[in-house]
Amino acid sequence: MEQSGTSTRLQAAVQDLASGVVSALRGGDHAHVVPPAGTDGEAGDLALAAVRVLGADALLPGLLSHTPPDPAELAVFRKAVEAYPPRPDAAPTVRWSHWAMARTLRRADPSSAEPPAEPDTAWLDGATWQVLTHQLAVLAPLALPGEDCAVHRLAQHRPVDVARGFVRAVRRRDWRQAAGAGRWLTLLPGVPDTVGLESGLDFVELMGGQDPLVALQVQAARRMRMGARG
Amino acid sequence: MTALAEDLRTVADGALAWVDAHRAGFALGEDALAVDGEVDLSWKPLGELAQVCATVTRLTEPADPLHARARGLLDFAWQETHEGELFLRLQRLEPFATYPLEVYAALASAGLRHPAFEQAAAVVARTRGWRLTEQDPTRRLGVLRAEERCGVHSLGQAPPGLEQTWLGGLPEPWTFGRDAGYALTHVVFHCSDWGCDAAAVPPVLVAYLTDWLPPWLDTCLEAGMWDLGGELLAVAAVVARTTGEDPPADAWQRLVAARGPAGEVPLDDRDLGDLAAGPGDADGERYFLHHYHSTLMAAFAAVLAGARPDSPPARAAAGHRYGGQGAPA
Repeated sequence: MEQSGTSTRLQAAVQDLASGVVSALRGGDHAHVVPPAGTDGEAGDLALAAVRVLGADALLPGLLSHTPPDPAELAVFRKAVEAYPPRPDAAPTVRWSHWAMARTLRRADPSSAEPPAEPDTAWLDGATWQVLTHQLAVLAPLALPGEDCAVHRLAQHRPVDVARGFVRAVRRRDWRQAAGAGRWLTLLPGVPDTVGLESGLDFVELMGGQDPLVALQVQAARRMRMGARG
Repeated sequence: MTALAEDLRTVADGALAWVDAHRAGFALGEDALAVDGEVDLSWKPLGELAQVCATVTRLTEPADPLHARARGLLDFAWQETHEGELFLRLQRLEPFATYPLEVYAALASAGLRHPAFEQAAAVVARTRGWRLTEQDPTRRLGVLRAEERCGVHSLGQAPPGLEQTWLGGLPEPWTFGRDAGYALTHVVFHCSDWGCDAAAVPPVLVAYLTDWLPPWLDTCLEAGMWDLGGELLAVAAVVARTTGEDPPADAWQRLVAARGPAGEVPLDDRDLGDLAAGPGDADGERYFLHHYHSTLMAAFAAVLAGARPDSPPARAAAGHRYGGQGAPA
């Protein structure tokens, strides 16, 4: 009972954090979305865990607008990176998500430690387009302009497969996966024009945008499309 | 024989055997010429039987038992129409209805013809009123194809009105739904002369379908939409006759697993429990109506997928423009 209560509170904290990121992405200004450090006890733990769950996207607004991060915000982000290192048996997506956070931290603050070595992408070798899209959607924080990592390079070789996964996700009303896949599609060369990505992102937002985790990916995708055009 | 080839053969054999064993369900019945007769329960199933069997006979060798079975079913269908005579009588009752010509065209494509009906149909088809019959664009395409088969006129390279169909407009693939699905499969069937002339499908549609069939197929089969799934497998087979791509093996495995005890394929998973629970109803009309079309489509798709491709390997390269991304299903 207690565990499920904690889980519900964590989900709520993640949603709050995501809402903050969405507002900042929409406003284009660098609102502080990561809660201030120094909160002790359960509330502090929860906030830290929420940052870990959202991953590198917690600092996305500043990253996309090239705004230097707020020191207090950065301190919490750093704490989350350090507090939740992946276990040796962690799933590849967990290891990659942590790697993305360490890398974002290093970008935001060059005095931070070097990110660990990139995990491998062996688990995606020969993955069906369905599995590939699901895993990429989970790793949507890696979908950034100019990013150069093994997952990115792998995705670049399978634009049609990711587009198929987007179509499948919309058909299954899996808006989170659709939004994450849509964000990847904004960056991949060779996506068939017929997919209609712009109206597809609008549709995903219309149907699933009340979930901040969906809205975040849609907004991120839009910002990156604007950036690509500008 | 590969596992996939075995699956295709199993589906085709089982489905056509079930259809043969239930041929009485396709019989026209007393009200075939009644003014208020239910066309969807009489002429439509017979036309669908004829169409599938026409393609099966064209894509199989005469020595193949499938060929003989399909030929036997075509003869049965032809007898049901009194060797075409009923089409003439139907036309006198409803001269401007298009369905008699559409059903007749399926039989005519298998060489079963009634010259007097064709002459009568040509008289009606010359009117402006016939040409202005209001129909949705996909159905219109079917009527034009039927007219061509009956010698009313020639369809030419690019079928008119294609761009007015859902598929011809190249819509966003995530807007696909049940109705759009049935419309698009029929556009491909009409364009390709029900799989016998796959090269007639415009290249832009081949490329579009190559990209988007996999997620449509995957989600339909996952939802237990076996009838539409079978039609999409048939479309995939038509496209593959141009591109040379392999049939989607896992999709076929799912269809194999969805079959009933005698090789029949259900329309969808709805009401299957009720149908199975009804004692003695397994041969009943409800069971037939819930299975006949999807079973015909399964046979159609399996024969198309198992037939040798139309194209030389040089053209097959076009199908691999993405370097063989992903599994097809």
